[in-house]
Amino acid sequence: MSAWLKIKDLCVKVADKPILNDLSLSINAGEVHVIMGPNGCGKSTLSNVLCGNQNYEVTGGFIDFKDKNLLEMNVEERACAGIFLAFQHPVEIPGVSMATFMKYALNARRKAQGKQELDAVSFIKRIKVRAQALGISDEMLKRPVNVGFSGGEKKRLEIFQMAVLEPDFCILDEMDSGLDVDAVKVAGNGVKIMRSEQRSFLVISHNIRFLKEQIQPDKIHVMVHGRIVAQGGMELLDEIDKNGFSAFLKEAVA
Amino acid sequence: MIKTLSKQRLLTIDSGQSVVFFEKQLAPKTQITIAKNAHVKHYRLHEMTDHSLFVRLEDNASYELITLHRGDGNLTLYFDLSGKNAFCQSNIVYVLSENKNTLIHCDVHHNADDTVSRQFVKGAVCANAKAVFQGGIFIPYNKKGIDGMQQHRALLLGKNACAQAVPQLEIYADDVKCAHGSAIGFLDQEQMFYLQSRGLDEEQARTLLTTAFLNEILDDIEDDEVREELKSLALEEVCHGN
Repeated sequence: MSAWLKIKDLCVKVADKPILNDLSLSINAGEVHVIMGPNGCGKSTLSNVLCGNQNYEVTGGFIDFKDKNLLEMNVEERACAGIFLAFQHPVEIPGVSMATFMKYALNARRKAQGKQELDAVSFIKRIKVRAQALGISDEMLKRPVNVGFSGGEKKRLEIFQMAVLEPDFCILDEMDSGLDVDAVKVAGNGVKIMRSEQRSFLVISHNIRFLKEQIQPDKIHVMVHGRIVAQGGMELLDEIDKNGFSAFLKEAVA
Repeated sequence: MIKTLSKQRLLTIDSGQSVVFFEKQLAPKTQITIAKNAHVKHYRLHEMTDHSLFVRLEDNASYELITLHRGDGNLTLYFDLSGKNAFCQSNIVYVLSENKNTLIHCDVHHNADDTVSRQFVKGAVCANAKAVFQGGIFIPYNKKGIDGMQQHRALLLGKNACAQAVPQLEIYADDVKCAHGSAIGFLDQEQMFYLQSRGLDEEQARTLLTTAFLNEILDDIEDDEVREELKSLALEEVCHGN
């Protein structure tokens, strides 16, 4: 089976500083992969590049998603192709309610798929069912996007957006950071419910317990200095838990 | 009482009355006198021609204005807070497309003690349009307990769009609280990225953010029909400008 997401020799610069160096990674349909690595190794850069953030300059390599050249698509085309990033720090959008935002987003994706726009009743039903499952009240849906919400609520709203839009490829950038124990469970459950043969995940996290108990990934990648230096299964989590990243750092330098 | 002459509309709100009205077809000049203890909410749409509005407030009178300006002419506003305890709130939304050019000139005169004025102006300037906002607050010598506030915000949406703010505060009294501010800028790129990363195209994202910016004022219109009409007219002008 050919991989859904193929990243080959990717090089990325931010403000003329190289961040990713010859990074290669493949993820198959239905798989959940995790990227771990010390702070500043380029994990968030990778998630931004996958979404098409123009502040990141791709200087080499390619990214294919479902056999299409992702780098040739703009931000919204990638979203409509099924790429979704749950942001580490979601931005506030005053004056736009979450419900309105989701209506635009959902219909944009449906239009790209050649489907009709959802009518009002089906739309409300779709968002209400998902909101309820994630403990999001009607009032939260009416409020402006991310304005005045706590860190945990913002993350929960990111999961909610993911559940509404049902993307094919979900990138979760430190979704569990800053969450209390219960909120981590809600986030983890969100991922569990959404796992399917037709949906892949790339999870960035430092939280080993969260990864082990909630995510249960198929594969772990260790990233150091903008490059994947080790790959493995769950056993890699235990190793990192015990020894940290020092062994990988040495390897990367050598 | 309303009297409309060929070029002027004269309104007198008698003491103690409460009035809400929506003015769409503007005469070149409107003059309103609000008598003691009377309260007025005034919604209006300004399009095309030059227009001036004069409002005089007597003791304890209040006046709350929300206006949508999308005209190619100038708008002059003059508020005379001549009665003690008078309150005047004048909120303006302007949206300019194409080559429209406007000068919004507003003077607030605190001519009596304990008068309060609030002004919030928000504009979106598209394409090659140009807007100048001149806002003045005048507080004469010896007046007490004055509280004035003026804020202006503008979004530049076109390559050649231009907005200018010229605030003018003339304060000759001591017992005064007065604040003003202005900010002119572009759409937030992080917000644009967030919306586009969920599938909205650039134009949708721009329109959504711009109308959200303007609706902060228009959403305060209590009458549903008037609010929705002015919001859709603002949206129409934003889309036209995009």
